[in-house]
Amino acid sequence: MGDGHRLPPPASPLQWAAALAMVAVVVVYLAAANRLRRRRDAWPWPRDLSFAAGGVAVAAVTVAPLPGGEFTAHMLQHLVIGMAGPLLLILARPVTLLLRTLPPGRTRRVLLAVVQSRIAAVLVFPPVAALIGVGGLWLMYRTPLLAFAHGRPLLEALLHLRVFAAGMLFTTALCRLDPMRHRYSLALRAGTLVVASAAHSVLAKSLWAAPPPGLAFTAADLQAGARLMYYGGDLVEVGLALVIVLGWYAESGRALQRERRRSDAVAGGV
Amino acid sequence: MSSVTRAGNARPLRGEGSRRSLWAGFLFGLGAVAFIDEAVLHRLPHRRPFHDGSASGIGLVSDGLFHAFGWFAAVLGLVMVADAARRRCLDKRFLGAGALLGAGGFQYYNGIASPDRPWYAIAVLLLAAGCWPLLSARRRGGAE
Repeated sequence: MGDGHRLPPPASPLQWAAALAMVAVVVVYLAAANRLRRRRDAWPWPRDLSFAAGGVAVAAVTVAPLPGGEFTAHMLQHLVIGMAGPLLLILARPVTLLLRTLPPGRTRRVLLAVVQSRIAAVLVFPPVAALIGVGGLWLMYRTPLLAFAHGRPLLEALLHLRVFAAGMLFTTALCRLDPMRHRYSLALRAGTLVVASAAHSVLAKSLWAAPPPGLAFTAADLQAGARLMYYGGDLVEVGLALVIVLGWYAESGRALQRERRRSDAVAGGV
Repeated sequence: MSSVTRAGNARPLRGEGSRRSLWAGFLFGLGAVAFIDEAVLHRLPHRRPFHDGSASGIGLVSDGLFHAFGWFAAVLGLVMVADAARRRCLDKRFLGAGALLGAGGFQYYNGIASPDRPWYAIAVLLLAAGCWPLLSARRRGGAE
């Protein structure tokens, strides 16, 4: 791995299948949103845009040749698949859309049961989702796991799928835009985001100094990849922070309105 | 967050505005200085490189935590300013004092992380400047 090849290997059939599946999901989302609008339900169009952008970005980095050295390209892929893509997809509230478009019946009941299940509630408890996400990254980059998967397309695809799934779970758990069993305070979500981001940036810095065990890259490639991980992680942290804090702003605004109406009513009554 | 308002005219209680403004300023000041530190000072030659190779584990972890907290603090501080304005209890003096204290606090941490006299001096100046409006507010508050 990594003696400065200019040509990356062509995408495997598995990668093409994953990219096509992602595009198909985007098409289904857009069709569902369209169906809502046709029956005159409101569904803001920025959500369509966000979902399409996220889905297309994930599909693109899965198959397209990426610039830079091998490690840098790998890191760009992971940033999009595990962080930026999931943020764009989750902002579009896909589960809410699905629940609103599915006709009453078995499929809808099953989806609702899954969303409201105890196991889902545990998985989207922010610290658990963060541990799965960032803990998984540490396992991948600080054990021989990545070296072992290298050259085994099925294992590599599984690792990518894990990064995507963990990113979706982490984003879902922190943003809490889709329906969920529990609500958590600003402090718990903020604290989880800060600790997870810190663990991410420490891992990025450690990769700058030493590659994942069993793999060798040129120093320039390794350092460019580590920097990309560090600053890309920052960018996504700011995005997640905005979602969490603006959500808090909107919620406390509604509470303030209620408070004002109540106190006006009291004043009017007296 | 529960809002503390007096029934009737829905005006914020005294002290609430100064508390909210102080916190908003503190978080924003800390986040802004953390950003400047990262975006400007780390770019200067010979000034804390991305990774100096010798940093201890604890140094890396505390750096990472502060770095991550800085970003969140900047975002939260800004939105808390908007929140205080919405509650009509934004106190500019306390906002400024908080921003100076936040900036000074970050500088002080920076001084610990990379011992450097001028950085401590800047930190002490900022912290002192941040305390001044608070002390004068207390004196004025006592006279009321």
